[in-house]
Amino acid sequence: MAIDIKNVSKSFITKDKDFMALKDVNLHVDDGELICLLGPSGCGKTTLLRMVAGLEKPDEGEIYDRGELVEGPSKERGFIFQQYSLFPWLNVLDNVMFGLNLSGEHSKEENLAAAERYLERVGLADFKYSYPHELSGGMKQRVAIIRSLLNHTPVLLMDEPFSAVDMLNRHTLQEQLIGVWKRFETTILFVTHDVDEAVYLADKIVIMDKRPGRIKDVVEVPLERPRQRESREFLDFQDEVEKLLGVWEP
Amino acid sequence: MDIKKELLPFILPAILLIIWYLLTDGLHLIPYYILPSPLNVFTAAWTLISNGKLFMHTSSTLVKVFSGIILASAVAIPLGIILGWYETLDRLSSLIISILRPIPPISWIPFSILWFGIGLSSAVFVIFIGCVFSVLVYTIDGVKRTDKVLIEAAQTLGANNWNILTKIVLPSALPYIVSGLKVGVSIALMCTVSAEMIASSRGLGYMILTASQLFQPGTVVVGMIIIGLIGILFDYGFRKAQDRIFW
Repeated sequence: MAIDIKNVSKSFITKDKDFMALKDVNLHVDDGELICLLGPSGCGKTTLLRMVAGLEKPDEGEIYDRGELVEGPSKERGFIFQQYSLFPWLNVLDNVMFGLNLSGEHSKEENLAAAERYLERVGLADFKYSYPHELSGGMKQRVAIIRSLLNHTPVLLMDEPFSAVDMLNRHTLQEQLIGVWKRFETTILFVTHDVDEAVYLADKIVIMDKRPGRIKDVVEVPLERPRQRESREFLDFQDEVEKLLGVWEP
Repeated sequence: MDIKKELLPFILPAILLIIWYLLTDGLHLIPYYILPSPLNVFTAAWTLISNGKLFMHTSSTLVKVFSGIILASAVAIPLGIILGWYETLDRLSSLIISILRPIPPISWIPFSILWFGIGLSSAVFVIFIGCVFSVLVYTIDGVKRTDKVLIEAAQTLGANNWNILTKIVLPSALPYIVSGLKVGVSIALMCTVSAEMIASSRGLGYMILTASQLFQPGTVVVGMIIIGLIGILFDYGFRKAQDRIFW
């Protein structure tokens, strides 16, 4: 079992009141699973993901990563942020090699070869000497994903990484994500508020609710891959998930 | 069209030069002792170049400016990174920095003479005081402005605190540090000339002061122009550096 979330609660103190971001959350994620956390804003899905990463600490409960208590951020749990997080002073190649060069496990030449290989696979070979400000939003997120995967992260935590990308590009990115997920056999926890995205990507969808943030339901996605967005089954299942989510608050 | 644009900055100085010439040598409206003519200045410059004094004074000033800046950077950049990183230390030191910073560097001259005597080290000390605070304050600010997402991204890629400081915080603060140095250098240049007028026996400030006492207004103007040119050169250098650093 890759990730084990046990009785986790978290509240934030704001100006006027304490607010319960998450209450008694339990979740098990198996190795190699792609799980989507789906819910309205304010349901604590990002907070939960940040706690799994070790970027925030739960008030109560524990989170285990393959049996070990999560106590802080580590390269064992890569994170793709909603905001762009490439280092602006490094070009694409150096960004992608950041983690590899830190670990010093392999020689610089090996790192370079690996980086170039993966940039090629996602169609970014021509941009390896470009700087982040020269890339589109979708390209930036692709580079960020490669940066984490190249670091051999067994678990990849993704916080609405494609929300700022236009729909056409989003679909391409989702397709590429499925590709690299299969190749790297990474466990992925993917936060989204987009039902279509969750249904397209996930093995299992964790449906969350707010006030207080909690898990409402966990559903297996019964669709074969590659999934067809136009298919009857896809649309039917999407309706089902929407019903489970309940009424959206604008 | 482009050549016209390139020439644009030189038009006003050229007009000024013509007016200057007309007022002095041209129409003899202003006597030599009130304002030396361009020709006087040129003659003075020629003498100073041929007897090697201009080079001696200029290099002496430059040595002081550079030593002061290097010393100030060596103190202010590491200290700024530490103060910017640890909030407690920043709070601890912020009041004393705010009090020391606005004190004109020139007012340290009496102590610098007492502590270091007349000469190079005394002037370097005043220059150090002059630019250390701006570099420090800019560095602290730059470190504090480091994007939290970049730090977290580095952490999830396996960076430890040392990696974060050297590979994230430092490069992200670099543009601010360069801005601090730019401000620091202009202060340093002013300090140098003032310090040389009081606590030195060499340099452009000393040259200007002695020339005024010996009634050589041409030499005074030569000194002023050289200081201006040094300022332009530094500014140009920093602009080039910033073009490379600002991504």
